[in-house]
Amino acid sequence: MTSPPTQTVNLTIEGRPVSVPAGTSILEAAKTAGVLIPHYCYHPGLPVAGVCRMCLVDVEKAPKLAPACATSVAEGQVVRVYTEKALEARQGVLEMLLINHPLDCPICDQAGECELQDYTYQEGRPEGRYREPKRFNPVEDFGGDVIYVANRCILCTRCVRFMDDVVHHPILNVSERGDRAVIGKFEGEDMTHPWAGNVIELCPVGALLSKDALNKARAWELDRAGSICPNCSQGCNVMIEARDNTIVRLRPRPNEEVNHYFMCDHGRLNYRWLNRRDRVDVPMVRQGATLAGCDWERALAEASRVTTGKRVFVLASPMLSNEALFLLSEIVRRTGGTGAFRVQTGPEVPLPGVDDLALRPDRAANVKGAELLDFTRRDRPLDALGAGDVLLVADEELVGEDASGAAKAGATIVVGTTLPFWARHTASVVLPIANMSEEEGTFTNIRGRVQRYLQAKAAPGFARPAWFVLADLLAALGGTAIGGGLPSDVFAALAAARPEFAGLSYETLGMRGALTANAIAGASL
Amino acid sequence: MSIREMGGVEAPADTSHGRHAEPHQPVFVGARKEELDELLARYPSKMAALLPALWMVQHDRGWVSEDAMAEVAKLLELTPAYVKGVVTFYTMYHQHPVGKYFVQVCTTSPCQVCGAEEVVDAFLRHTGCQELGVTSPDDKFTVIEVECLGACGFATPVMVNEDFIESVTPEGVPELLSRYK
Amino acid sequence: MGYPHKPHARETPVLSQYFGDAEARSLDGWRKRGGYTAFERSLGMAPADIVNIVKESGLRGRGGAGFPTGVKWSFMKPGDGKPHYLCCNADESEPGTFKDREIMRWTPHALVEGCAIGAHAIGAETAYIYIRGEFTEPIAWMEAAIKDAYAAGILGKNAMGSGKTVNVWVHRGAGAYICGEETALMNSLEGRRGNPRIKPPFPAVAGVFGQPTTINNVETLAAVPHVLNNGADWYKKFSRSDNPKSTGTKLYSVCGNIARPGNYEVSMGFPFKDFLYDLCGGPLPGRKFRAVIPGGISVPIQTVSEAEASLMDYEGFVAQGTMLGSGGVIVVDDAQNLVKFIARAARFFAHESCAQCTQCREGTAWTTKILERIAAGEGTTEDLDTLLEIADNMTGKTICVLSDSCATPVVSGLKKFRSDFESLIKKKTHHLVPAVA
Repeated sequence: MTSPPTQTVNLTIEGRPVSVPAGTSILEAAKTAGVLIPHYCYHPGLPVAGVCRMCLVDVEKAPKLAPACATSVAEGQVVRVYTEKALEARQGVLEMLLINHPLDCPICDQAGECELQDYTYQEGRPEGRYREPKRFNPVEDFGGDVIYVANRCILCTRCVRFMDDVVHHPILNVSERGDRAVIGKFEGEDMTHPWAGNVIELCPVGALLSKDALNKARAWELDRAGSICPNCSQGCNVMIEARDNTIVRLRPRPNEEVNHYFMCDHGRLNYRWLNRRDRVDVPMVRQGATLAGCDWERALAEASRVTTGKRVFVLASPMLSNEALFLLSEIVRRTGGTGAFRVQTGPEVPLPGVDDLALRPDRAANVKGAELLDFTRRDRPLDALGAGDVLLVADEELVGEDASGAAKAGATIVVGTTLPFWARHTASVVLPIANMSEEEGTFTNIRGRVQRYLQAKAAPGFARPAWFVLADLLAALGGTAIGGGLPSDVFAALAAARPEFAGLSYETLGMRGALTANAIAGASL
Repeated sequence: MSIREMGGVEAPADTSHGRHAEPHQPVFVGARKEELDELLARYPSKMAALLPALWMVQHDRGWVSEDAMAEVAKLLELTPAYVKGVVTFYTMYHQHPVGKYFVQVCTTSPCQVCGAEEVVDAFLRHTGCQELGVTSPDDKFTVIEVECLGACGFATPVMVNEDFIESVTPEGVPELLSRYK
Repeated sequence: MGYPHKPHARETPVLSQYFGDAEARSLDGWRKRGGYTAFERSLGMAPADIVNIVKESGLRGRGGAGFPTGVKWSFMKPGDGKPHYLCCNADESEPGTFKDREIMRWTPHALVEGCAIGAHAIGAETAYIYIRGEFTEPIAWMEAAIKDAYAAGILGKNAMGSGKTVNVWVHRGAGAYICGEETALMNSLEGRRGNPRIKPPFPAVAGVFGQPTTINNVETLAAVPHVLNNGADWYKKFSRSDNPKSTGTKLYSVCGNIARPGNYEVSMGFPFKDFLYDLCGGPLPGRKFRAVIPGGISVPIQTVSEAEASLMDYEGFVAQGTMLGSGGVIVVDDAQNLVKFIARAARFFAHESCAQCTQCREGTAWTTKILERIAAGEGTTEDLDTLLEIADNMTGKTICVLSDSCATPVVSGLKKFRSDFESLIKKKTHHLVPAVA
């Protein structure tokens, strides 16, 4: 059923012609013209509040300045953002926000990514003229990962509106009145909801901060890479931020189709495993009772020797990329073997205010990719290992699981970030690989959306991306070589070989992702 | 400006967050529950009964404790944090116990020019309250300044609990206080 | 309890006719004085006809905004299938104003009747009277009057036998001046913090509980039965011959340094000079008037000569540099410290700010601190410029006009009484060394 077409409104913003659907706010319309109207309380993922008064713009023929976030466009409107009147008004707001704001920049985590700093630098007064004592409120632990530094709060109420309208768990309030107002909560109700940590991201200043990330790095010291959260199958778009090759935090990256502007705390706080130090970082081959380091050629040759003429059973991790899993599935096909994976699960926690967004039960990023690439999900994957098969362990440690079934294998090859302890006596070859933050690749999320992730830090030692290692291994086993030597080439081969991925390429995926053919047809739901 | 500077009541040094050793006895039982149910019928939403419900709590207990906020929240299907946000907005709900007689003197500009400050001083002197917002040692009186009470032509108006008294002068304060045993 | 004085010969007691008449408070007493005849008649009229009479009469909102009441009622679209609501704004908290309390405690049925007619005229079955929490006596009288009205079948499912439902309920506030702002009142009624809402949407489209709503002041609604009983033309007669825009009578609350404070009801256009000196008795012995505010603390302060030249209607006060506002007349004489007066006004606004808008939340408190510092003798000339700039930042930029209202006494005070400020100032600037250019 189609709804009647929305009327288009034409107006001018800062001299640029703009055409948007009726009902669009001036602030959003300005974005389409490349004009960013300064604002605090407005956020596209939250209901409009219109309280910060920062977005006041000059509308021709209107007697008063209009709040751009709360005013709908009108036909023929002429909007100016940088008239003297509007600049004075915004400067006034900035001055008022700073009079009680503590001089915390040197010790505040938000410095360098603080919207109060940014707009003040851009449009604020060069000198303060407030002579009175500043208001003081103590720091409060809001529970979960959230700490509230009340003195820095500008009362934009984004956090309150988020907990109310998006999480449907209104445990934050505005308490008191006037300049005594602070964000408050009730004793016994804490910010432990799995989606509560988003308030840290939403807070434009350093009032709501992550306890986990507190004082770990300055914003300008961080290296950033666009990526996909590896911790469940929702595939939230994230930014991985690292300092000195160590991941310091994950932050959500906006994607209207997947996670809007949010990510859950399970995803956000589970990055430490990407910084693990107990890594294998050099190729190894067995020499009697020990594993000895060697070069890549030697290790690959040994792996090939051990595998020739045998069936390969792949114990895959659902954290591996589509590219790696594709190459593994090719190895499986060539040798007439099978592949299986297991995935840890947990309770599903939806974010009620957003369509189809949840912390998913499958706590791994590429379960869908594994399934599409012929891997079978099993609670006890080693049960499918045939006696005498070559067991290729692809980055799966089977933590906390019974791995005694591995003993059935004729030989064991470990392709992984670590050496599982149950394979330390049986592995013939160990090929070290990068984890997802140390390589480029793609994941397929629960809805069949294929999304790219980029490299955020360097892999240790001699470790290589899994697709790189597996392409070499596949070639050594006589399979078709993947020409080009880039992950995009592997993906192209994948798209050519598998109908579900037909038509996709790194170009078409961009940084927003795209649905597989089946997903578009709706069959994957 | 602190809450005290704004004429509010200073919180006692008590850090039990309004909870006492005894468990909270529900307010909305029996007649009070019936009263609340009758009230609910007047509005299309439960939330609208919040201010009236809080008044009932204050009438029965003298102040609105956090336990009471939690009780009201449950009855009206709200979160306690939400209720607390409302309670802290409105100055007439006491968030801490106050003296037996809560004296509110209007000192806004029209009353100020009619001598309201002297009336305040008289109340502080004659009640034994050391300062505004701090209950007298005998727990009998708490005196605060309030904003315009809407009786400007009858300066200085004063409220003692629910009593509204007009035209109070400093000389008349002792007699007024004597009515409150 | 305070007792209204005897009406002055030059007053026009319409709303205040029965102030002090204890019998008028009861249902029977009110009926004996012609009460509820207007309501009964209105129940047999088409709502649109009632609206037209009120429109024709020129009755304007008496809470302070002065918006034509009939026009406001006409915004309520009939037959839209939505429940309509009438809210009576009895939050009376504007310093200087104390008229609605008198209407409620002396003639409670006048308000009940006004609400009932208003509800019927706008297609509402329910009217809420939002009374500020401090008005314990008016609340008691209104609750009693409503109870009697229900018992007598005037209100309820079959109002006066008409088959129509008319409910009137009292809703008690809890100490917030801002709840006198119509959208904040609606939020408070809904059980929320008393935060004003952004308009649009306007109350007549989406108001309380998201439904079409009209909010009227007590005095406005109390005038409605009189308009219906005597007709629009009668009401229009109470005006200046050269100003048909302001009609009817107005209850002025007079307070401050004046011989006879109290409530006075006069016809629109009455000369303010006569009002102050003749009706209200002029200044206290040995004192002289210094400053006059005719419409509550939120309207500009007048000099005595401006006041003496004013005619008491909406346009008349605008012509003399101020506004009629709520009609709360505050008089300050030459024995007072005007700077302290204005500082205390700023403190009032700082206490009452709801905290939504940056300029109001921070600006009201900042203004207060500067003024108190000046009053204490620690101000600088720089502070005076800062005050005016803060006031400019606080004007025309916020969701509601509390912010503008705080700026108004500061701006008008500095404009007309600058010497009062300057006499308290000893230093030019706070800087110990000149600022680097």
